[in-house]
Amino acid sequence: MFRIVEEPIDVGTLVTGAFRPDCGAVATFVGTTRIDESSGASVEYLEYEAYRPMADRKLGEIGAEIRERWEVGHVAIVHRLGRVDPGEPSVVIVVASPRRGPAFEASRYAIERIKEVVPIWKREVWSDGYVWVGSQVGTRSPA
Amino acid sequence: MNGVKVLLFGAAADRAGLRQTELPVDDDVTLGDLWPILADRHPGLVPMRDTLAFAVNGEYARMEDPVSPGDEVAVLPPVSGG
Repeated sequence: MFRIVEEPIDVGTLVTGAFRPDCGAVATFVGTTRIDESSGASVEYLEYEAYRPMADRKLGEIGAEIRERWEVGHVAIVHRLGRVDPGEPSVVIVVASPRRGPAFEASRYAIERIKEVVPIWKREVWSDGYVWVGSQVGTRSPA
Repeated sequence: MNGVKVLLFGAAADRAGLRQTELPVDDDVTLGDLWPILADRHPGLVPMRDTLAFAVNGEYARMEDPVSPGDEVAVLPPVSGG
């Protein structure tokens, strides 16, 4: 199950949805928004945007790559768009496998691939402007 | 439509000052042929050139790939999902 959503992600439902009798391991990765207070101002929230439907399709491709590489019974990836407040989940990955090794490895693979190929961007919205993460373009004046 | 629809995202949209535009294309052009036209119209994009990726009709494309009237071209800054 691969989805891009604009509302809070129900992590519990995603995890229990991966339980199945032929899998003894469910690995869950939750990416949450982190606040960096390295300068005088602070990040108030993060805001995500995506190029759809390319981003949706890329999530599905990552799922297909995982099924080629590992024995998995279930893969779910959900990424949130729009405003995400500090400490809230922005991405949730759940992989069920007969054994723990593939579950851990595949969930790690999924988040690394998301950060490489899925056309999603986030900007940090600070009290004094914003900055696109990865491009360092924005409206904040240089520190 | 005689041109291509160009979508811009994230920092590229900021730099260009718009999220969508159209560029004229002839037959037998490549993505690489479009860049000078786009850069001329939106010079704010030029400093980002080396960081940008491009997609044609929703799939990553290289500069030598063909672009035809009616295609959708996307200008993609470094992705930062997760």
